Amino acid sequence: MSKATDRPTKPLPLTPLDAMAEASVLGKRIAEGTKLFGEVMDDAVQIATTPKDLVWSQDKVRLYRYRPLSPSKGLPPVLIVYGLIGRYTMADLQEDRSLVRNLLSLGLDLYVVDWGHPGRAERYVTMDDYVDGYVDACVDVITERSGRDTVSLLGICEGGVFTTCYAALYPERVSAMVLTITPIDFHADKLSDRPNHGFINVWTRALEPEDVDRLIEAQGALPGALMGSIFSQMTPMRTLTKYNLDLLDALDDKKKFMNFLRMEKWIADRPDHPGEAAKQWLKDLYQENKLVNDRFELSGRIVKLSDITCPVLNVFAQDDHIIPPETSKALAGRIGTDDYTELGLPGGHVGVFVGGKSQKLLGSGIADWLSRRG
Amino acid sequence: MDPFETMQAMGDLWGRSAQSFWDAQRNMAGAMNTAMPGNLAMPDAVAMQKAQAAFEQACASAQAIATNVTAGLDAARQAARERTDPIAAEVLAKVFDPRGWLSASNEVDQALNRMAQGPQLADLWTNERKFAALFTAWAALRRRNLEHNTIMLEAWTRATGTFAKAVNARVEAGEPLESSRALMTLWIETANDVLLETQRSEAFLRSQRESLKAATDLRLAQQAVAEIFAEMYGAPSRSEMDDVHRSLTDLRRELRALKREQRTRRTAARSKVTQTPEAPIETAMQGAAE
Repeated sequence: MSKATDRPTKPLPLTPLDAMAEASVLGKRIAEGTKLFGEVMDDAVQIATTPKDLVWSQDKVRLYRYRPLSPSKGLPPVLIVYGLIGRYTMADLQEDRSLVRNLLSLGLDLYVVDWGHPGRAERYVTMDDYVDGYVDACVDVITERSGRDTVSLLGICEGGVFTTCYAALYPERVSAMVLTITPIDFHADKLSDRPNHGFINVWTRALEPEDVDRLIEAQGALPGALMGSIFSQMTPMRTLTKYNLDLLDALDDKKKFMNFLRMEKWIADRPDHPGEAAKQWLKDLYQENKLVNDRFELSGRIVKLSDITCPVLNVFAQDDHIIPPETSKALAGRIGTDDYTELGLPGGHVGVFVGGKSQKLLGSGIADWLSRRG
Repeated sequence: MDPFETMQAMGDLWGRSAQSFWDAQRNMAGAMNTAMPGNLAMPDAVAMQKAQAAFEQACASAQAIATNVTAGLDAARQAARERTDPIAAEVLAKVFDPRGWLSASNEVDQALNRMAQGPQLADLWTNERKFAALFTAWAALRRRNLEHNTIMLEAWTRATGTFAKAVNARVEAGEPLESSRALMTLWIETANDVLLETQRSEAFLRSQRESLKAATDLRLAQQAVAEIFAEMYGAPSRSEMDDVHRSLTDLRRELRALKREQRTRRTAARSKVTQTPEAPIETAMQGAAE
């Protein structure tokens, strides 16, 4: 154990006046914050408010179509596919920070699949079921409704892995694919020298495959609470300061405070990940890295990245500590088309969707790219 | 409530939760000895005592260092005869407290414990053999938590040393910290770096894996006990429910496959109907193109 014998030997250069001023400013902020806390009720903290209609459901899965906000551009409909860790509501967090609204405003016909809250009853549901079953069924519904043969896919994080697999297995049904913050090479985190990046990759590789099997046997799922605690570990001191210092900073004005609460609401809504699908996610992908090596199998078929023939836009967050950019950019040169574009945006894993600057660039970047492909 | 009290209450709440955890860990070995039935030996008692001793030693060292450094900072302030910002000083003390560190960085342990907590031990006395297995798993989880917390306290000690050096370096370089908040920010940044480094160490990853395994073992042991009671009272057991869910998933899969087959047949039939009259036109166009 190391010793900490060095002690500060000189005073802090604070005058009594400085200290009083600091205390006074702090006191005012706390007073305003206390007032805000008293005023805001949970009902006022709403997320995912863009109007949409249920068009199909099966088991716990729901497919919604958003109501248009602008005249249609006549492009193929777009299906948003989120992953099973967290919920799709992140893409529509609040009115002025919503990928969904941005895309609708640019005239896209937008659908989203909601995986709901899988429970122990979904223990045996696999990624095969999600890709080959639910995503395929959603594509069916959308093509039937639109009278087209194809749809465009917009995958987010693990949802991006689903759409990647789907585009490889059913290339004839996908007109274009947008991937956002999506891991392809799950071991490419080793290429990054940033110590706060890729902890989930390191953590998962530190487990043995049988640890994962037993965890799922015991829990029936990958508990959302466990994943939440791993995410917290990635920003360790933030966990200590989040509900005091950070909250205090957010109390400066009501808008900032409401943004903080909406984000908290999204974070709190972290479903359990179905067990068998979690085994594939952790063992086949995080541990064995099968996707990038053309060894990942779904419904008896190998997913080959080179079978993806539709145009691909690959969006990554430049400071994504959860899905390091290197793991996303690994798709370059591996698919069966030259129409491949990368878009690196400032911000982190979630910031790229809700950050003031990035979310606007993200919406317009996706809409422009899709428009150019007709 | 006085706004200053609000902030202090926030700090107190934080401190109290950390203190409860701290006390629980310190008193655990004694409590277990008291609670143990005479006919059941303490499972892997030596390893548990070793883990407890290492943890207590790490606790004592960390607490001594914390007191030392805090006293140093106080002395520095008093030497300046400044009127310390009471709120920032209070929060700084809480942020700097190793118990706070432990309670925050222990979040994964807590998540694992929450996952593992099941029926009360008192409900299980009717089946000694199953209880013994359950208790062994419970003790193993506590031991793994202690070992993991020891690693975290050692990291805290390293962070404290780095922090103290950084404060002195700033002062000696003529770039003193301008506020208590700045001091706190420096501590947070320093501690964050050390924690990130610790989390990638082999010892940390191994320890967290062991904690996860222990939590899983405990959950499985609890389920084994629960199966007995389920059978006794004619209630469906976990494994029976899992069987049902497996069958349900298989049936849904088969249904989806059948629907898809039907759909494919329908589409093919539609396509045949629409393509038949167009075939000569296509052929004619192809011929023209050639």
